[in-house]
Amino acid sequence: MYCRPSGKECKVPESEEQQILTQASQGDLDAFGVLYGRYVERIFNYVYYRTGNVHDAEDLTARVFYRALHHMHTYTDRGVPFSAWLYRIAHNLVANWHRDRSRHQEIPLSDVPTIHYKGEAPEAALIQTQERDSLLRMIRHLPAERQHLLILKFVEHMSNAEIGETMNRSEGAVKSLYHRTLLSLRDELGGFDLGE
Amino acid sequence: MHTKMNQFGDRSMEIINFMENRLSGILKPIKPSKEFVHGVAARIQMGNRAALVERMTNWHVISMVIAGLISLAVFMAVVGGVLMSLLRKNRTA
Repeated sequence: MYCRPSGKECKVPESEEQQILTQASQGDLDAFGVLYGRYVERIFNYVYYRTGNVHDAEDLTARVFYRALHHMHTYTDRGVPFSAWLYRIAHNLVANWHRDRSRHQEIPLSDVPTIHYKGEAPEAALIQTQERDSLLRMIRHLPAERQHLLILKFVEHMSNAEIGETMNRSEGAVKSLYHRTLLSLRDELGGFDLGE
Repeated sequence: MHTKMNQFGDRSMEIINFMENRLSGILKPIKPSKEFVHGVAARIQMGNRAALVERMTNWHVISMVIAGLISLAVFMAVVGGVLMSLLRKNRTA
């Protein structure tokens, strides 16, 4: 079973998750395979929006799970979701990836999710594409924590409480950070005519 | 004052709603390719074997480096000994 980002169907009973985690931490590769199936799309999406291209997202996602497999025996349940542990590994690998590159990569247009602008003139579509690219660039220049928050909110469609659990913050802190992030993004977007 | 605060709050909420609409249009779930997902899954299933091979490869490299260093040290010692004996012979002659 592959767990879709935001998919409520990937909610599994906590006891079942616990059992699988215990088996995986004891070296059971099948149990780890189940965890991989549940979380691969979420980690891929996180890495994709942090790096901006599919090729590096695949490479880093694979490395996240190899590293997780290698360190699985050290995993201990501290009351935070298993995904938080995976996101921390992903965050570290993405940070190294950014450090290794002197310049940030731009998202090739072919990699951007296709959005159809029905009935719009090509000029209007071009402006929207430019605006979208520029917004994605701005997101990638936000502090890692804010990027993470936006990905969990918009890609995973998590509630503030769920985000707080994953990011080890209170629900109120998440809400406040979310509002500040959106307001600062809007300030940075100021140069664009956003149709207000 | 209170009205100004309300206006500020309303304006912020307007911006937040506006940005939410924009972001929900561009931050969408992306599906990784099936080849990628299954490829990594297969490698995970072979995890133990792959790790063993990696470890053996590492040991192989490390042992070769150590052997190389020992050979170099022995070679240097032999060359040094020969040079020293040649120097002694020259002095006595």
